[in-house]
Amino acid sequence: MSLDFLTPAGSDRAAARSPLADAAAAAGARTEVRDGWEVATSFGDPAGEGAACRESVGFADLSHLAKVELQGPAGALDAALGGATLGTAARAHDGWRCRVRPDRGLALGALAAGAAAGAGVRALDVTAAWGALAIAGPQARELFARFCALDLRESALAVRGFRPGSVARTPGYVLREGPERFLMLFGAAYGAYLWEVVADAVAALGGRPVGLDALPALSSVDGGREAARA
Amino acid sequence: MTRLAPRDGQRIDRSTPLRFSFDGRDREGWAGDTIASALYASGQRVFSRSFKYHRPRGELCGCGQCASSLVTVDGAPGVRACGEPLREGMRVEHQNAWPSLRFDVMRATDLFGGPFTPPGFYYKTFIRPRRLWPLYERVLRSAAGLGRLRRRQDEREWRTEYRRRHCDVLVVGGGVAGLAAALRAAELGADVVLCDEDVEPGGALLAEGGHEHARDLARRCEQAGVEILSRAPALGFFDGLVPVWQGDTLHQVRAARHVAATGTIEQPLVFPDNDLPGVMLTGGARRLAALYAVSPGDTVVVATTEDRGLDAALALRDLGVTVAAVADLRPDVDGELAARVEAAGIELLRGTMPVRATGSKCVEGAVLAAVDASGAARGAGRSVACDVLAVCGGAAPASSLLLQAGARARYDEASCRFVAGELPAAVHAAGAVAGHEEARAAEVSGAVAGAEAALALGLGGSGERERLESDRARLCELTVPVPRIAPPAQAHDGRGRGKAFVDLDEDVTAKDVRYAAAEGYDSIELSKRYTTVTMGPSQGRFSQLASVRVLAGETSMSLGDVGLTTARPPWTSVPLGALAGRPFEPAKRSAIHARQREQGATVQWAGDWRRAYDYGDPEGEALAVQESAGMIDVSTLGKLIVRGPDAAELLDRLYPNRMSTLKPGRIRYGVLTSEAGRITDDGTVCRLDDESFYVTTTSSGAAAVEQWFSWWLADWSQLDVSLTDVTQGLAAINLAGPQARAILSQLTDLDVSNEAFPYLDGQQGAVADVPCLALRIGFVGELGYELHCPAAHGRALWDAIAALGARPFGLEPQRILRLQKMHILVGQDTDSESTPYGAATGWAVKLDKEQDFIGRWALERQAELSPPTELVGFTCPGGEVPTEGAAIVDASGAAVGQVTSSRRSPKLSRSIGLAMVPSDQAEDGAALTISDNGRRVAATVTTTPFYDPDGKVLRS
Repeated sequence: MSLDFLTPAGSDRAAARSPLADAAAAAGARTEVRDGWEVATSFGDPAGEGAACRESVGFADLSHLAKVELQGPAGALDAALGGATLGTAARAHDGWRCRVRPDRGLALGALAAGAAAGAGVRALDVTAAWGALAIAGPQARELFARFCALDLRESALAVRGFRPGSVARTPGYVLREGPERFLMLFGAAYGAYLWEVVADAVAALGGRPVGLDALPALSSVDGGREAARA
Repeated sequence: MTRLAPRDGQRIDRSTPLRFSFDGRDREGWAGDTIASALYASGQRVFSRSFKYHRPRGELCGCGQCASSLVTVDGAPGVRACGEPLREGMRVEHQNAWPSLRFDVMRATDLFGGPFTPPGFYYKTFIRPRRLWPLYERVLRSAAGLGRLRRRQDEREWRTEYRRRHCDVLVVGGGVAGLAAALRAAELGADVVLCDEDVEPGGALLAEGGHEHARDLARRCEQAGVEILSRAPALGFFDGLVPVWQGDTLHQVRAARHVAATGTIEQPLVFPDNDLPGVMLTGGARRLAALYAVSPGDTVVVATTEDRGLDAALALRDLGVTVAAVADLRPDVDGELAARVEAAGIELLRGTMPVRATGSKCVEGAVLAAVDASGAARGAGRSVACDVLAVCGGAAPASSLLLQAGARARYDEASCRFVAGELPAAVHAAGAVAGHEEARAAEVSGAVAGAEAALALGLGGSGERERLESDRARLCELTVPVPRIAPPAQAHDGRGRGKAFVDLDEDVTAKDVRYAAAEGYDSIELSKRYTTVTMGPSQGRFSQLASVRVLAGETSMSLGDVGLTTARPPWTSVPLGALAGRPFEPAKRSAIHARQREQGATVQWAGDWRRAYDYGDPEGEALAVQESAGMIDVSTLGKLIVRGPDAAELLDRLYPNRMSTLKPGRIRYGVLTSEAGRITDDGTVCRLDDESFYVTTTSSGAAAVEQWFSWWLADWSQLDVSLTDVTQGLAAINLAGPQARAILSQLTDLDVSNEAFPYLDGQQGAVADVPCLALRIGFVGELGYELHCPAAHGRALWDAIAALGARPFGLEPQRILRLQKMHILVGQDTDSESTPYGAATGWAVKLDKEQDFIGRWALERQAELSPPTELVGFTCPGGEVPTEGAAIVDASGAAVGQVTSSRRSPKLSRSIGLAMVPSDQAEDGAALTISDNGRRVAATVTTTPFYDPDGKVLRS
């Protein structure tokens, strides 16, 4: 037997659903099936959602992001993680390679499944085990401050910084994708709870949930630096 | 009452009137006023009544720190009128007086009840008869208090939230020292947060002639990037975490360095009737006049023990207030200030202090006299008419945060103060709290502390150390001894009348402290607890030193030997709601949770999961499983992937049975034990291939098992094994019942016949187009399949199965069904002492296994001995369903065992259960007696499952 039963394989009959899907639907999400996943493309106001990401803060469900856990000896992991050291992430194609521990890492993004390369490295699809939220905007750090005790100042977590830690009192990870954009991973079973916490805090800061289409591309969030590096 | 003439530095905006009400009567103030300044300006001297004796109380400190000005604002009690800014339309009410503030019937407690209400009187008086305590308590609570909470829950709620803030340097205190510290640290590149209690930073300078400089410093701080939090007291010091409360936000500040610039707290003097409205601290009087243009009175007498009082007298006079006299306890006071006082025509009475305040409702005069060491007046003293008696009994460093951080307090005879000794690492002190009280010295000490903090973090340029040394030298030059004198514990005129309060919050008198000491409460910690001194809203700010002095006098100990009570948070009283934050509870929910709610599931906590308990008819749901097909969401099961060449060996080391002999595609039950052979968890292990295993655990044990595996894996580092917790990544649905196979066969291409897919087999395949691992196991005792799939597809799989007629069932029906099979629930049917042999799972221990395993030694020992109790089934012939936890009793009525599970089985139409019973009763047919809430229930032991004892149904 294989470990295929761990990998979401969306079909017309059974599209994969995010752990935040019910909460997003209740908040007015408009959804489409993309690459086998039912994703929230907007909340009915794309312009307003884009403005939130530029002027205050918006959060978008990225749980469909492929996630592969990599385990192996530190040396072997170095290559698989693109040189990401402890506490950092490396950009790889359209995704990220993140160092969780010396002997453990996470590959995120469309090509994560192909990240198993390398002798002695074991890969396991954990896409469905982790929910993911992108949090973008000038108030992003203030939003985190409402539910997360991690130090996300630029001096402590620069772009490409990656931190395991408690998010809203649950185990998770925070990756700084850009100066004002973060990716937060959390246990999938906490999805509804996390939505409630983040939505509550974001409203108090004048932000809102945003659809995938309103989320700025990483290159624009990062002032083009990421694109140039890629 | 009219206001004083406009002057620079005043906070009020005379062009913006604000209307408010006090006890229903319209009042008016100006923008910038506090409630207290506006009330005072309107002629109101009394704001509320005191905690115990219902004595009238009004302005004392003028800065929001005391409990004398507590009022209720818009229904919210406990608001400090002298710190709360006035807002348009405020509805202000007095506290703790009935029927009115002017006439309070409970004042009788003060007038007549004094002799009957010594410290601890309620412990002594209301202890008998014990049954009346609820009545006593209600009466006492209504008679004493600090205001009444709003009645309705929704009125008591408001939005509060946490805000975590990391920074390089946190400066607590926004006086000149704090501002200078923040500015210097920020200039050196530090990320600085400054928190201050007042509405604006500046501290004492704002009211003492330095407002321009203070505001300029604050402006420069902001320009340097300092985040200034105003009206934001720091509540405590928790190993580097400093909670700062600001309105509806609790800032949780974690700084690399801390600077305490918390200043000092002016102390009252203790003499009879020292709480009459009109007796206030000199600082309070100055703030009223300087910031709010309110004259504290027509005629003021100042009483002091140090230069601060002389300075206040001059300042008040300059502001247009008539100062009749200054009583300075220092007999030989001299120097520039004294000369200026006398030059201003103010009578300076050297070596005297108030030995009584006179007046009925408010101060009408003061008796000033020389006193001996015990505080007794020498002679009759001199009566001076006044309507305000402004007192300064010295000052106490506001060192609570420093002490909470680990500094030790010691009494400094020279300064007559308790000071913080050696500071802990990463903590600095600046300004008055560090002994630098004079404004210039305070500012330099702040700059020194700010530089030290920043430099310790590796910030600052090459020349900064030289600059720091230069500042330190300058600070030494500016630090000069200040003549002070310690006041007596209590001054009095020998007439014996009037209460002399050491603690105005709690109405504790000097006599009370002495009384408690005489009763044996002669340490400051005991005295505090017995008398409640220092336990009021001001947290001992104005009573700590006074109570120490009284106790020292009573016990003949030095002040240093008496010491201070332990400094504890919160330093400022804070609403519990602000500490609670947002009311969200982390809860795990399966991917199918919302669908189950739509289908009518009631939900309960199961460990850290929210889980469907039933769908309204648990017995019907259980019957449906046994008669057709049911489906239950078991996504909560712990799930681990164990991989690697040594995976089988790892499992052999952890489980007491053999897992290495499992063939790929087969499943085995396993019980986990501690090294002491006690059951910690159980579940199944499915071998996926030679090097991969899929391990399930109990729902509540998932995290602990994962940690247990990881812990041992770290110890056995030579094993090449990877471990991943996929609990939240997989949904799991148990499809069970006679129709389960038929339903499953419609959803998958797998051959689900008994021959191709036998009991304890695991197979992979698509079910309803969803990738699944199907496990043929049967916790509920019926033909069943556990379908494990990516959580992202859980709902789709659930819907597909439900569409074919399987009836959803919840946790309660599952418990009925598993009980029929005597399948144990770890944690329910076991406890921390349960062994496999005593919990009907001894069959899962293979002592003949070649591989050593956790708990082997203990299990070998247990196998040689008969367990004292064993888990057995029981039925109650009378049909009773005993309470879980009910005792099994012997003939004498002594408890010898316990019912662990019990239910009524709808299928069997009788009560069934599991119980821990003495081993000699653990045999079929043995009679048990259950003691259940006072009734005796007869039961009979059975050692085989109540349903399908030979497992034919399960294997069909």
